Amino acid sequence: MAESVSYTEKLKAWNRKEVEKIGEKAPVTTPYPFIDIEKPPEYRGIPHINPEKCVGCGACVNACPPDALIMEWDKEHGVKRLTYNAARCIRCARCIEVCPTGAMEPTTRFEIATNSKEDLVEVVEHRLAYCEECGEYLDFTERQIEYVKNILPKEIFDMYALEDRMKLTQDAKMRVTVEKLRELEGVEYPAYLLAKRGDE
Amino acid sequence: MSKSAFEVEVECECEACEKGKCDSADLVDVLSEREGLKEFYEEFKDSIHECRRLTYGQYLFVIDRDVLPEATLWWHNHPRFKETHMSTAVGTDERAIAGKFSYMPLINVQVEAENMDRNFWVLLKAYMPADDPSFPSVAAKLPAALWIEREVKDLLGFRPIGHPDPRRLILPEDWPEGVYPLRKDMDYRHSPMREPETEFREPPEGTTTVPMGPFHMGIEEPAHFRLFVKGEEIVDVDYRGFYSHRGIEKVGEGRLTYNQVLFLAERICGICGYQHSVSYAMAVERLADVDIPDRARYIRTLMLELERIHNHLLWVGIAAHMVGFDTGFMHAWRIREPVMWLVERLTGNRKQYGMNIVGGVRRDILDYRKEEILKVVKEIREGTKKFLDIALNTNTFIKRAEGVGILPYKIAKAYSVLGPTARASGRRIDARLDQATKTAMAYNEVDFKVPVYKEGDVLARVLVRMDELFESLWIVEQLIDQMPGGDIMVPIGKLPEYAEALGFTEAHRGEVLHYVMTGEKNKVYRWKVRAPTYNNLPAIPDMLRGYNVADAPLIIASIDPCYSCTERVQFVDVRTGRVRVLTEAEFNELSIKNRGVF
Repeated sequence: MAESVSYTEKLKAWNRKEVEKIGEKAPVTTPYPFIDIEKPPEYRGIPHINPEKCVGCGACVNACPPDALIMEWDKEHGVKRLTYNAARCIRCARCIEVCPTGAMEPTTRFEIATNSKEDLVEVVEHRLAYCEECGEYLDFTERQIEYVKNILPKEIFDMYALEDRMKLTQDAKMRVTVEKLRELEGVEYPAYLLAKRGDE
Repeated sequence: MSKSAFEVEVECECEACEKGKCDSADLVDVLSEREGLKEFYEEFKDSIHECRRLTYGQYLFVIDRDVLPEATLWWHNHPRFKETHMSTAVGTDERAIAGKFSYMPLINVQVEAENMDRNFWVLLKAYMPADDPSFPSVAAKLPAALWIEREVKDLLGFRPIGHPDPRRLILPEDWPEGVYPLRKDMDYRHSPMREPETEFREPPEGTTTVPMGPFHMGIEEPAHFRLFVKGEEIVDVDYRGFYSHRGIEKVGEGRLTYNQVLFLAERICGICGYQHSVSYAMAVERLADVDIPDRARYIRTLMLELERIHNHLLWVGIAAHMVGFDTGFMHAWRIREPVMWLVERLTGNRKQYGMNIVGGVRRDILDYRKEEILKVVKEIREGTKKFLDIALNTNTFIKRAEGVGILPYKIAKAYSVLGPTARASGRRIDARLDQATKTAMAYNEVDFKVPVYKEGDVLARVLVRMDELFESLWIVEQLIDQMPGGDIMVPIGKLPEYAEALGFTEAHRGEVLHYVMTGEKNKVYRWKVRAPTYNNLPAIPDMLRGYNVADAPLIIASIDPCYSCTERVQFVDVRTGRVRVLTEAEFNELSIKNRGVF
């Protein structure tokens, strides 16, 4: 949305007769909307999702008061879809505040009038991480897992053996834990006891 | 700031006491904190089940529903606490928690004017069984309760027994009987319909009805006044409004977390949004018992005062427009515009600043902006002085405003009229100084006067607002000088469950009051908003009676009504049960005097 043509440019395509007068100097008034008007740099316009930085964590969705940001899971195709609808947006910029990666970018754009509703929507699709063990998709995106790998200290990785288990579903994780425990202790506990312990 | 503001909340629940009578040591402490509490307790000892301090300066009494009228009137008509008034009331569906409904008048007790450490709030909570939600009405003796009792009747299905005018107030004409939107068993998406039925009042005999609305021509907002006239003179008025009821409270309770409600609160009103936002944030901070950083308090105060400045200029422009003095209208709005630009640079938007968060503010005031603020303040002071000089020497303006729409002190007090409207009628009230705003705002650390006029006419309302504007400019300058450093917010985290508190500010129309009761999982269980126009508008018929039809738009505009604020829920005027202070003859006299002017 933020990258689409500016409102002034769009108006030119309408071939309105006022467009010709843009060059003429009006005595007091500004021929808005046929020219761009000055906006202060602090102005809070509609936000824009930078798909390169977004990891699909959904922090913005939790913070958004009017549900302008929506998160959907499509487990069949392994896709997590983040949708931003500028028509619902109240420009409070809460999403920009809570975004951990700075993917929500502030703009000073406010002219969202358009011929088609689709222009108002931004969609970012993320690939979900795939669990090799059970052949199912996780709730997390691949990028989320990469992000966690980058920020977590190494001690925690080692403590919970995250390297191997990160890309597993909850079920597979539990199964792996049970197997690990069995190996370590070398005693054949009944499986249900171990499963319980793993759950905790 | 005195130390007591930071005291840890003292809970003194008296549930353990036998027969619900509290006589523990804690109770004595709580009751001796403020004047009048002990007296009240002695008077209603047998009916009080529980009393505790919610937070600094807010006291909750759980009383029998039978003594509600007496208890409310005891405070409202207290001989020593002259400006004490019933602010509003809250009805809550507490069936999920206590198995009962509750109705709770909120009383603003003023022991000493402009002393926030001595004044306090009294919340009188009365429980009603789930199968019989009724309570004795106080509206016949106290007009301030007229609308709120009709509101709880509409929205929660309570029955105020003995209410003089039990017509529908809030709900639209096509809403079916027996469906109560604020009860917890109703989903916020449900919207039933029936055939519309209107309930207009019969006009008095020998009068002609002049409908004014459903759209006010000057303020350009929906409101339907029906003026009953004899010739040119207004004999009586009927009001039907609440056309812009949006069900904001229900959405806030149903779906949002406490930080999301804040942005909805800001959108209750188009021009006093920040007041609502601060009030709501204050209520939540009070119940979580969090003290926000000093710098945040200062920034909030600064924004509140800038909002007051441009709102007063907006209003004086509209008033000039109403009297046909359009030059004044243009100039007032021209003077106002730099404030909007300034605010846009400070917060990122002209209105709906989005500056607040529970626990502080979101944007800091950087040093280079201080220069800009001072420049704008100077411009406005000079501009407004010049404007007032011209406006107050314009005969058309003075003649239309002087002696018109007089609101006597007694009526103002009986209806709990607030803000500049009340101060123009001689009520010495200002929530900025009267109540403990020091936890969320910095009014205790700046010096300013509260202008009070005794005339009660439209001109007095103009003068009160203009005096206030100059005081606000002075407050802004002091705030810039004294602005402390430090953090601008503290994180709140988890809220206590089922805790209640009030938040309030003095908007440019009067005291804004938010009541918040938290639920589970950081959600809001009950959120009640009372905008100042809700108390001012019922007094309009008393201002209009006896004047010309041509004065009606001006008189209505003179209280600076904001229908959208008021009508998060909805309302209508009342003749029956009104305390009649002026006699018919006095009214006639006024209208004769009035005709002489024209």
